[in-house]
Parts: sequence; structure tokens; C-alpha cells
Amino acid sequence: MNDIADKCPQLGLVLSGAMLPRFFLLFQQGVTIRARVGCSLKAFLLEELAIRQDAVDKIQSMFLDGRPVDDLDATMVRDGSVLALSAALPGLVGATMRRGGRYASFRQTISYHEEKLQCAAGNGRVRIKLFNLIMRELGPGLLHRGVFMRTSDLMNFLSGQAEDFWQECREVILDGMPSDAGRLKDGTLLSGHQKVIFSATL
Amino acid sequence: MDKILRIDVGAEGGPKATAGAMGEYAGFAGRALTSAIVSKEVPPLCHALGAENKLVIAPGMLSGTTGAMSGRISVGCKSPLTGGIKEANAGGQPSQVLARLGYGAIVLEGKPKGDDLYKVFINKDGVRIAADNSLKMLPNYDLVAKMKAEYGDKIACISIGPAGEMKMSAASIACTDMELRPTRHAGRGGVGAVMGSKGIKVIVLDDTGMQMRAPKDPEKFKEANKRFIEGLKKHPVTGQGLPAYGTNVLTNILNEVGGYPTYNFRQGRFDGAAKISGETQAETETKRGGLATHGCHRGCVIQCSGTYHDKDGHYLTKQPEYETVWAHGGNCGISDLDGIAMLDFLDDNYGLDTIEMGATIGVAMEAGLAKFGDVEAAIKLVHEVGKGTHLGRILGNGTAFTAKAFGVEHAPVVKGQAMPAYDPRAVQGVGVTYATSPMGADHTAGYAVAQNVLKVGGDVNALKPEGQVELSRNLQIATAAIDSTGMCLFIAFAVLDQPETFQALLDMLNAFYGLSLTGDGVTDLGKKVLSMERDFNARAGFTAQQDRLPRYFKMEKFAPHNVTFDVKDEDLDKVFNW
Repeated sequence: MNDIADKCPQLGLVLSGAMLPRFFLLFQQGVTIRARVGCSLKAFLLEELAIRQDAVDKIQSMFLDGRPVDDLDATMVRDGSVLALSAALPGLVGATMRRGGRYASFRQTISYHEEKLQCAAGNGRVRIKLFNLIMRELGPGLLHRGVFMRTSDLMNFLSGQAEDFWQECREVILDGMPSDAGRLKDGTLLSGHQKVIFSATL
Repeated sequence: MDKILRIDVGAEGGPKATAGAMGEYAGFAGRALTSAIVSKEVPPLCHALGAENKLVIAPGMLSGTTGAMSGRISVGCKSPLTGGIKEANAGGQPSQVLARLGYGAIVLEGKPKGDDLYKVFINKDGVRIAADNSLKMLPNYDLVAKMKAEYGDKIACISIGPAGEMKMSAASIACTDMELRPTRHAGRGGVGAVMGSKGIKVIVLDDTGMQMRAPKDPEKFKEANKRFIEGLKKHPVTGQGLPAYGTNVLTNILNEVGGYPTYNFRQGRFDGAAKISGETQAETETKRGGLATHGCHRGCVIQCSGTYHDKDGHYLTKQPEYETVWAHGGNCGISDLDGIAMLDFLDDNYGLDTIEMGATIGVAMEAGLAKFGDVEAAIKLVHEVGKGTHLGRILGNGTAFTAKAFGVEHAPVVKGQAMPAYDPRAVQGVGVTYATSPMGADHTAGYAVAQNVLKVGGDVNALKPEGQVELSRNLQIATAAIDSTGMCLFIAFAVLDQPETFQALLDMLNAFYGLSLTGDGVTDLGKKVLSMERDFNARAGFTAQQDRLPRYFKMEKFAPHNVTFDVKDEDLDKVFNW
């Protein structure tokens, strides 16, 4: 994984904060990050994603590999894990999804149960999905850190942006060097690269 | 709210209205009142569209007051869809206005002698009923525009669209919102068909000249209401999540956990979910000049609704709810938010339950009438219903009827009513409620998550599987009680987490009526309502065999988690043991 990632170009944009909602669909569908894995979900959130404890507390529902999580200490994040984060949810079913909530039995057949509390520590890839209010809170940090994308997916995303997106784009940086937004828009800047590490500073 | 208005639609010379005292129903409101009247006065074996059935429309206990969130209205009858008792409720303005006019309920009874269509106008001076055949087959939006032209814009309307006139089992009853649009529906169970069978097209309410209902202890009521509002505003669901994204915030979550019924309940994930999520919906609404945060009635502080504009920035419909977006979206394989909004508008306009119609179209797609994902075909099918074509008559009678007509085995119904947007194999506790609710498959029947406050049934270890049955029972009791207060069910989130907010609600009720109601009293009310409803259904011929999910939910594994519904029948039969 590292070999592939290291060969990827790193594209960075500096954008107005008003452009954050443009990334909401990406956050909901999930973005992949490179991270240290083989640790508990709690450690992953606090140390790897550097989320403050009070912010972790606001993430009332978490899902690992499509299963609701109850115990952050007894849940391991591995290479290839899919982690989804959500704020408080309405409705009975919303309440059943809360971590360790009173209604957890309602979804006990799909709850996350860790089979092995130990797994190899190292670098890996984790797909992160952000939902609802969490998108605004954690989205900018995730974008700033950089996400691993197929170039075609990034170009699809960029080609769908209206002109105001580009007007609010203050810098385009490729591998640390200022670059031309026009070449990014017309696809020539990233041609020949199948994957890219994309970051945005808002 | 000290009188009941009874309208005998079969009287000589046309419908006759009589106002009488609440009598033995004094102290009842909302669902408690509708179910009490139906249970006592309607023969359970009667035909739902016949003379013996009654349609009861009742505001909640605190409707018409300055109390926050008090604007739900209950509609009850024998359901033409389920054959059992039905209570469907809606937001909008009518509950507040009807309560301020002093009526605890309107009861439509009897059978019309001819085929004239009537409108009912109620204001401070009384009741006027007139035949108006120019209203025949008018969709709800056109109808309300006509009423506005005739009676002014200070009115609130309760109406049926063409589906109700055609007595379709998926027909809803529309209530107008603050903008005088027919966007709030008592949707479930075919209540619109019963109103249609009574020959009443619209009830127009005008409370001009009436005052807010006065509490017995105004100061205590005001103070309790303030605490209640503070509790709602500080809670993360009612103060943040719901106002920002509405109920459709659940799409991503249900999809993530594989509990989002897709392609007529065939699988639990839909690839297009993010395109129709509450988050995407809110951004779309804001970008186009609509509203992502809006109330459905005056006095709402949660503001979970909104307005949805089309691509040109023109009003299309109110913000579709999660269940609507699911029913017409993932369940039909449709990821076009504009198309789903159009379907929501059409359902409202023709007067149809969005859950029943979405589930029906899912079955129709499985039958081959259209391809999954074809939004234009789905729109065409709803128009068939609105026009009353032969195909439309089948579809308009709901999911079970359509499945039978086209030989589809997979009809996701309980007691003839379509399941809502949560697959019972993934979230099995909800399946317990679907199976056992007297209403048929209904996600709101066990919605009020207030068990820890009410302590109904004692303390339950909810983390154990066997806790599901006890929890479902307790949730149904709490919901029945809240439905009777006329409070929006969404208050339950704040009540769940904040006992002081629940206490504030009790204090409001006590200050208003001069009562000393406790949590136990609320529990007793919920049990009483459920007992009346269960008794009606038993007398209508329902047995434990109707308290079951369709068998295929036990037999067929549901992806991605490959789960089946495995709550035992004997456990389902324990839900109402109290």
C-alpha cells in the first residue's frame, strides 16, 4: 500500500470555507485515508484522527464495516476497515443505533462484535464516511489531512463543480509546487496517474 | 374542547350537524378519543366503507393552547386497508384551529343518500354544510386554492383528494400547513377512503374571533412550557439534528447498517443512498431558495420540515420525510431526488399515503409493470392512481392488493398495511412492533422512546435479546399515550434523555387541566388505549395469527448481513401481557 501511495501525486487546493458543502456527497459516500491501524477504535479516533474527547462524545453512533459499534475499546480498526460516524439520530431506530444505548437489543443481530482483540499494528487504508452534523465538524480536518482517490473519481468530482468553485479556489498545488487551475480542470495536470492523494485547505 | 360535533351524512335532506357534550368521553383527546369512540360505537364486523363505520377527527389535549409541539390531530375509524381499528395522525394547522373552536372531536357518521359531494365550514358562529359538486375529483392543492378564494386565507382545511373520493385503501386525509398548503397527511390505513365514503370532500375551519385555550393555572403552564421548550432546544436531536436535516437524516444510517429496504425489501443497501439523503436534500433545498428548516404548524420549535424547490427555484413540495424518500427512492431503486419530490407532491395532491404508494410501486416493479429505478414510470403509475384507471384502482388499494392482483409473493405487509422504511430483519425490535401493533406495520407505533422515564413494565435489560418484546410493549404504551396528548412524537427524543423535560410535559398537562398526573398515569392511559384497540381487533376477528410478519422474512436472508427475522412467535404473543 505504501509503495502505491508514495508514487501517487499529491494535489492540494486552497479554497474558501464556503465550499465545504461541495464535499458533502464525497463524505457521505466515503473517503479513504492512509492511517496507522491495528488499534482500538477509541485510539484511532483520539490519536490517529486527532479528534478531541468531547468531540468523540458527540459522535453518538459509529459503524464499523456496516455494523453499529457499542464499545470503542473492544473494537479494532484494521487495514481495509470502513468507519462511519454520525451525530445523534431521530426516531426509535435512530436511538437503537446509539453506542451502548438502551435500545441496542433491537439491532443485536447486526451489532459489531470483535472476534479477535488483537491484530497487527501498521499502516493501512481506512474508508471514512461522515454523516450529518459530523460532516461539518470533521470534514475540514479530513480534507486537510488528504484522502486517497482514484484520479477518475476526483476528476468527476471537479468537473461537476460550478464556476464559483473555481473562483473560490485560491491555490492549486501539485507535489508542493503551485500549479495551474486550468490544467487541473482540463485534466492534463493529473493525466497518466491512476490515483492521487487529494487534500483541500478550507 | 368541551363538545363533540357529530355530522350525520345520511340525514334526510343532506348532512346534519349536531354539537353535544363530551359526556363519557370527557378527558379524552387525540388517539385516546378516536379509539374510544370507534371501539365503543363502531361494530367491528361492519364494512369500513359502510354506514356503520365512523370517522373521528380529534385534536390533542393541548392543541389550541400556547403549548409547544401541540398541533397533532388524530383521525380514527375502522380501516379499509387492515380491517382493524386505525388511528393516523398529522401535523399542520387544523388541530390548533379545531381546538380553539371548542371541539374535542368531529364525528362523521352514516351513509350519504345520494352522490353529492359536501363541504363543511366551521367558525365561531357554527357549522354550515353545503353540497358542492364542482369540487368532485379536485386534487388537494386545487381544492385548497378554491377554499382560500371562497373563505379567505385565515382558514385551515382537512380534505381528501381524488383517491379518497374513489375510496381507495391507500387514500389519506390532508391537513393544511402554515402556508395553507395540503402537505400534512393522516396517511395510513385508508382513512381518506372512509371520509370519501361519507361524501365529505373538505372541512374548512376558521377560528377568527376565538381565543387561545386558557389553562387553569396560566403561570404554571407558562413556566412549564418554557422548561419544555428549553429541553427540546438543548437536546442534540430535537435542537440540532432534526432542524438541520429533517427525518431524512436516517437514509445514510439505515443504508450503512444494511437495514434500508431496497428493491422491494430484497436487500439492505442502496448504491444511490447518498444522492437522496437528508444531507443532500438539505443542501439542495438551501441552494435552490427553499427551506431546510421549517415547522409544519405554529408552535413547533423543532422545525424538522422544509420546502423543496424544483431546479428553477419554484415550490414543488414540502420537504419529503425519510419514509417517503425511502418508499419512492431506495425501495423502488430510484436515486433522483427531484423525481422523488415530484412523487411526494403527487401523493399529497391526489391524497395518498406515501409509504403505501411507494411500497405498492415497489411490488408493481417486481411484477414487471416498470423497471426498478425508472422514476418516470413511477410517476406515471401514481398518475394512473389519481386518474382512477383500472390499473390505478388496483395500485390505489395498496401493496397487499397489488401483490395479489399481479401474483407477487413478496408483499411486505402486516395486517394488510405496508411496512415502513426499516427492515425488520436488520432491526428486529422494530419487527416486533410491526407484527404486534393493532395498526398493522407501523414504525410510529413504538416510536416514543420513553421507557426509561415511564418505567413501564419495570426495568428491562435492553441489551439482552429477550428485552425486545418487553421494550416493544413499553414503547407502544408510551406512544399511545403521547398520541393522545396531541404532542408531536418527536418530543420523545428529548423526553428519553432528559427526565426534566418529561416532567415539564407532565407539568404542562397538569397546569392546563388542574390535574396531578404522574408518569404512572401516562402509562395507564397508554395501556387503556392499546387495550381498547386490541379489543376492537379481536371482535373484528383478529387472532395471534395476524400478529406475524410475512413468512418470507423468516426464511429469506437479508443482505449484507444475511439475517432473518428470528423472534419466536410465542414471544410475539407475549407483547401485550401486562
